[in-house]
Amino acid sequence: MPTKVERIQDEALRGSFADAQAALKAGEYKKVVELSSAAYVELLRRKPEMLQGQQQFMNVVFFPRLGAHLVVNNDGQPEIVWDREKFSFSEAVTYFEFTIDKVLKAGL
Amino acid sequence: MKFGLFYEHQIPRPRDKDQWDPDAEHKMMKNALDQIELADQLGFDYIFEVEHHFLEEYSHSSAPEVFLAAASQRTKNIRLGHGITLMPPRYNHPARVAERIATLDLVSDGRVEFGTGESASEMEMGGFGVRREDKKQMWEEATREVIKMMTQTPYKGTEGQYFGMPSRNVIPKPLQKPHPPLWVASSRRETTMVAARLGMGSLGFAFETPDEAKERADEYFRLVREECYPIGEAINPALAAVTILSCFEDDEEAIAKGMEGAQFFAYSLAYYYNPFTGGNHKPGQENIYKGFIEAPEDKRWGAFGDAFRGFGGFSGGAAKEEPEDEVTRALWRAAQRGGCIGSPDFVTDTLRKYEDSHLDLMIFVAQCGARSHEDVMDSLYRTGTKVIPEFKERHEKHQKWREEQLAGVEHEINSTI
Repeated sequence: MPTKVERIQDEALRGSFADAQAALKAGEYKKVVELSSAAYVELLRRKPEMLQGQQQFMNVVFFPRLGAHLVVNNDGQPEIVWDREKFSFSEAVTYFEFTIDKVLKAGL
Repeated sequence: MKFGLFYEHQIPRPRDKDQWDPDAEHKMMKNALDQIELADQLGFDYIFEVEHHFLEEYSHSSAPEVFLAAASQRTKNIRLGHGITLMPPRYNHPARVAERIATLDLVSDGRVEFGTGESASEMEMGGFGVRREDKKQMWEEATREVIKMMTQTPYKGTEGQYFGMPSRNVIPKPLQKPHPPLWVASSRRETTMVAARLGMGSLGFAFETPDEAKERADEYFRLVREECYPIGEAINPALAAVTILSCFEDDEEAIAKGMEGAQFFAYSLAYYYNPFTGGNHKPGQENIYKGFIEAPEDKRWGAFGDAFRGFGGFSGGAAKEEPEDEVTRALWRAAQRGGCIGSPDFVTDTLRKYEDSHLDLMIFVAQCGARSHEDVMDSLYRTGTKVIPEFKERHEKHQKWREEQLAGVEHEINSTI
């Protein structure tokens, strides 16, 4: 069975998640959060409908708030706000899994 | 597939009074012990007792270790699960958790399932000063240390971010070696994948369509095989889900006796976990049950609406009309009833679909809302005699599937599935 990373069709996003997965194995948890969050922001930029109406609630409010959170700035663009520098294994996995599921669901 | 019971200890306030009758909590606790004793005799495999604080009406189970100790003395075989222990150190000092888990394991002859979690309601986090953005990190740090306390002689001590203590021999040690099976509450799908990577069982609230559930099980066991870094010294690969049970002779009776309790469960849960209502709860003053009873029928599933309509079941989501496809329609109908609410045949059909998706453990909410003790006992008896036996007969087949999934795993396994 192909892994979630292998199922991502977009080459750049697949590369980001492959790097995040390697960072998780290496114990670089902040890097996992950075790569996963950046990929998610890229997804929202490519799929602006995810920020419209009730979709915005689902895709912004439900984004993990475990030391980094997502906001929509005054220009209507998504951006990550960092609340701290250090992340645990379980937090890193949470960001990784949330974002990769969204990318797969979007069919990218 | 195995079966368990899930206890929140719900007590709706009387509609026409400010407070409960003086004996209400006493009666509820004693009734729950009677129910668990019966469940043990009927062959239910597990109970899971929550830990919640200050969630009036929704959950009066703030000292699960005491209740489970009482249950241990009235039962012989049923596994005694914390579902879950709140791990952030501001709720429970890690050394006290280790001591209580070990003591319960000793007095119960090794029947403890150690469920862990973080909590999520504003009432609880605010009451104990736990910051939402830190609670997962607190959970992980405290859980790692509690496991060491149960296995190291002496415990070496730690200076962590949220908790520190010097070296001490934390005693007693649990009867089960190296420690009781480990679980984590997984109300979010992501946490199931955290559980897999840490070698923990996943106590899931939400469930999906059969295809999604199967996909989740496949991914969970793949991670256990390929990307598991155990948090403990033994892993507990297991997927559990929670659903609401009301099993009577026919569907009409099951709905008449069970639907309101299911709705109140969802309504009060949504009340406390929605920050707009739960965050502004007035302690000791609000009557949630009165608000529920007076709400229009379409609002009785609570603030999260359709998301909870199929609570624990194969939710038909927001679909308002019956789907045309036969399988989807059956699931949609199950969802409209809120899980396992129906005749033994109906409940069996619903559970077979979970079984087909390789669920390890279905945990029933039988006591909820204003359901009478007699109805809960009746429903448990019928489930234990008319539903569970055929699943027990097939459990060996599920065990074989699990063996295939876990082939090649080198970590010690201490799952009781």
